[in-house]
Amino acid sequence: MILAWKAALIIFAGLISLEISAAEAAEKTVFPAPGGQQTILSVHGATDLAAMEPLIRDFQGLSPTVTVEYNEYLTNDLFNRAASECDAKQGTMDLVLSSSADHLVKLVNDGCALNYRSVMTHRLPSWTRWRDEVFGFTFEPAVIVYNRDLVPPEDVRRTRAELIDLLRTKPEQYNGKIGSFDISQSGVGYLFASYDAHGTTTFGRLLEAFGRAGLVASCCTTDLVSDLASGRLAIGYNLIGSYAVGAARRGAHLAIVIPRDYTVVLSRAVFIPRFSRNPVSAFRFLDYLLSERGQKKSREASFFFSFEGTLPEEVDGPLWLASSGLLRPITIGPELLAVQDRAKRQRFLSEWRRSTHIEPEDR
Amino acid sequence: MIRPGRSLYSRIILVIALVFGVGSVILGTAAWFYARLAADDAYDRLLVGAALQIAESIYAQEGTISVDPPVSAFETLSLSANDRIFYKVLDPHGAVLTGYDDLAAASANTGSHEPLISDGEYRGFPVRVAVVGRLVSDPVAPGWAHVVVAQTREARIILARDLTLKALLLVFAMTGLAFMGVLFAVRRALEPLTRVERELRSRDPKDLTPLDVEIPREIQTLVSTINRFMDRLSGRIALMQRFIADAAHQIRTPLAGLASQVDLLTEETQPGRREHQLSRVRERTAELGRLTNQLLSHAMIIHRAEVAEFETIDLTALARQTLINAVPLSLDRDVDLAFDDPPEPVLMRGDGVSLREALSNLIHNALKHGAKTRLEVRVFAEDDAAVIEVIDDGPGIPASEWQRVREPFHTQSATGSGLGLAIAGDVVRAHGGELRFRERSEDGFAVILRFKRQHEAPELRTGGDAS
Repeated sequence: MILAWKAALIIFAGLISLEISAAEAAEKTVFPAPGGQQTILSVHGATDLAAMEPLIRDFQGLSPTVTVEYNEYLTNDLFNRAASECDAKQGTMDLVLSSSADHLVKLVNDGCALNYRSVMTHRLPSWTRWRDEVFGFTFEPAVIVYNRDLVPPEDVRRTRAELIDLLRTKPEQYNGKIGSFDISQSGVGYLFASYDAHGTTTFGRLLEAFGRAGLVASCCTTDLVSDLASGRLAIGYNLIGSYAVGAARRGAHLAIVIPRDYTVVLSRAVFIPRFSRNPVSAFRFLDYLLSERGQKKSREASFFFSFEGTLPEEVDGPLWLASSGLLRPITIGPELLAVQDRAKRQRFLSEWRRSTHIEPEDR
Repeated sequence: MIRPGRSLYSRIILVIALVFGVGSVILGTAAWFYARLAADDAYDRLLVGAALQIAESIYAQEGTISVDPPVSAFETLSLSANDRIFYKVLDPHGAVLTGYDDLAAASANTGSHEPLISDGEYRGFPVRVAVVGRLVSDPVAPGWAHVVVAQTREARIILARDLTLKALLLVFAMTGLAFMGVLFAVRRALEPLTRVERELRSRDPKDLTPLDVEIPREIQTLVSTINRFMDRLSGRIALMQRFIADAAHQIRTPLAGLASQVDLLTEETQPGRREHQLSRVRERTAELGRLTNQLLSHAMIIHRAEVAEFETIDLTALARQTLINAVPLSLDRDVDLAFDDPPEPVLMRGDGVSLREALSNLIHNALKHGAKTRLEVRVFAEDDAAVIEVIDDGPGIPASEWQRVREPFHTQSATGSGLGLAIAGDVVRAHGGELRFRERSEDGFAVILRFKRQHEAPELRTGGDAS
C-alpha cells in the first residue's frame, strides 16, 4: 500500500511539474460540450485561437458531447512539450497540430504517434501525409504582405529579386520598415527560411538586403500582421498567407502577394500522440478536419486557402495556385528531418544572424 | 473377382501433388530468403549512399569539426517512403556532432572507408544500421569521423514480401502447367489400354485369335499374356470340340448296334437263340459302359493336365495299388500277374490321379488285347528317370502302328475304344515324360512310361491313397 501511494505521489508530482511548465507557455481555452460533457479532447496547437475556434465549434456541432480544451503555444514550445511527453511515455495531449510540420515529422519519426487510417486520410495527396501518422490539413502559401498606406502600388514587388531591388533603390523609405520571422523563435519561420535557402541562390542576397534595411524580426505571424496593419511595418516577408488574409478581412489595409518566382506552401500538420488519453475523439476530430465539411469551414473561416479551389480575392496571385507551377510544397515526410538537424540548424541560424545583424534574445 | 483398387489417376495426382507441395514450400522458403537478401541489398545501397552524403558534408574549420547534413541524403532515404530514419555524426574524438545521441554505433569503425552494415534495434524498432567513416585531415584535429545511419525495415519487408509473392506465383504457375502436362501425359499413356479394352469388347466371343494392336513396350507383357491366355483357351476349346465330336461318333456306333440287337431280341421267339441274343446285348452294354468310362476318364485327364498341382509321388506304391485295383475279379483265362519293384521308393513329381488312370488303362489294354498267360508291371529308377514298364506275352503292336495308336479312337477292334494308349500318352506328355514301346522279344511286348525322377523327397506322399 505504502509503495503504491509513493508511486502515485511520484506520478502526481510528475504531472504537476508538466502542467506548470506547460502553463508557462500555453494559453488554455475550454469549449464546453454543448450537448453535455461526456469526454474531453485536449488539443494542443501552434495555431491562432481565432483560426481554431470556428473549426472546434463546428466539430462540436457534429459531436456535441465532446468538451474541447485548446492549448495554444509557440511552435518551439509545443515541440518541446510534445517531445518530453513522448519520452515520459505518458501525456495530457490528445491531438497535436502545428504549422511546423518538421517538428511533427521528427516526433513521428521518433515513434511518438498513433497510426490512423480512414477514408478521409486516404484521400489526402501523398505530400501531406507520412506513415499514416502525421497529416496535413491546410494549404497555406508563404506570402509577401505590404501595407497599402505606406507602399504605393508601383512599389509592390512580386518576386524576391524585385524586392531586393526595391530595398536597394529606396532605402530611406523602407529601412526599419520590413519585418519577418525571428527564425530562432518561430518554428514555421525557420521552416520557410530553410526552404528558401535550399536550392535557391537569391536567399543569401535577400538576407543581406534585409540586414542592410534593418530587419524587424518577430516571433509570430500575428504580431507581424498587426504591426503591418498598424503601419509600424511596411513590408512583411514570408508571412503565413492565411493570417494575412484574416487580417485583411478584418479591415486591415494590406496587399497580399504570392511570390511569382516560387511559392513555398505549407500544410499545417496534425498527429495523435501515442499516449493520447482519448484517441477515439482525436480520430474523430482528425476526420472532421480532413472532411469536406471541415475543409469548407477551414476555407471560409480559418485558413482561406485550399488544395482545390481558387485564391481568396484579397490575394494578388495566379487564380489556380495549385496548378500554377510556382508551387514548392513543404512535403510532410522524412526529408523534413534534415530541417530539424541540430548542426544544420546552428549553422543556418548563425548565418541568418550574421546576415541580418539580429542578436539572439535571452529567453 | 476384380477388386476396385484406387484409380491410377488419383495415385499419380496424389504423388505429384505431394511432390509439388513439398517443392513449393521449399522454393517459397528459398524465395523468401533470397528476396530478403535482394531487398537488403537494394536498400543498403540507399542507406550507404545517404551515409556517404552526410559524411561528405563533414568539414573542419579553424580547428572545429562540423557537419551540414544535406537534404538530398534524407531525400535518398525517403525513397523507402514509410521508414523511420535515425542517424548521428561523431567527430574523431567520439563526440556527437548531430543526430540522435543514444543511437548505438555498431562498432568502433576506426580507419576504413568501407561502410559497415548490420542489423540492430533502436527505440524498440528493428533497424538496419550503416556506419561510414571519413578521414578528417585538419591539422588541429585529424582522425576518422563517423556517420551512423539507421533505418527501419518496413520497405525491405514489403519488397521482400512482394518478391517472394511473385516468385511463388511463378512457382504455382509452373506447378499448374506441370500438373496439367502430367495429367495429359497420363491420359495419353493409358490410351493404349483403352484401345486394347475396346478391341476386346468389340470382338466376336468366338474370336480367340491374338490381339493385333499397336502398344507401347510397357504393356507388351500384359497384352502378350492376354494373347497367351487366349491361345490356351482356344486350344482347350478345340480339344473339347474334337473330343465331343469323337465321343459322339464313338458312342453312336455301339448304340446303333445295341438298338438293332434289341430289335432282334424282341422279334426272336426261339428260346435258345433268344438266350444267345440276350448275352450279346449284355456284352454290348458292358462295352458301352466301359467306353463311356474311358471317355470320361480321358476328359478328366485333359482337364487335370491343365489344372492339377503336382506333388511328390512314390511311383512304386502307386503302381502296386493300381495293379491291385485294375485286375478284375474274374478273367476268362488264367493270367500270371507279376509286380517287380525296387527296394527303395522311386519318387517323381506328378498328379497321382492321372498317373493312376494312365497305368490302369495300360493294364486293361494288356489284359484285354495282349497277355495270353502273363502280365508284369515293373517299376525302377534309371539314372534320372523313373520308369514303369507294362509287359505281356501277347502279340504286341507292330512297329508301323506305334505312332497311330497314340491318337485316340485308333482301334479297329469291335470291343475296344482305343482310348487307353491315348490317355496314357496324354498323361505322360502332361508330366514331361515319354511313352515308348519295346518290340516283342522273349520277355514279351512292353509299353514303357518314362518320367523325370526326383532324387530326394522333403515330404513323402504315398501314392497309395487311391480310391
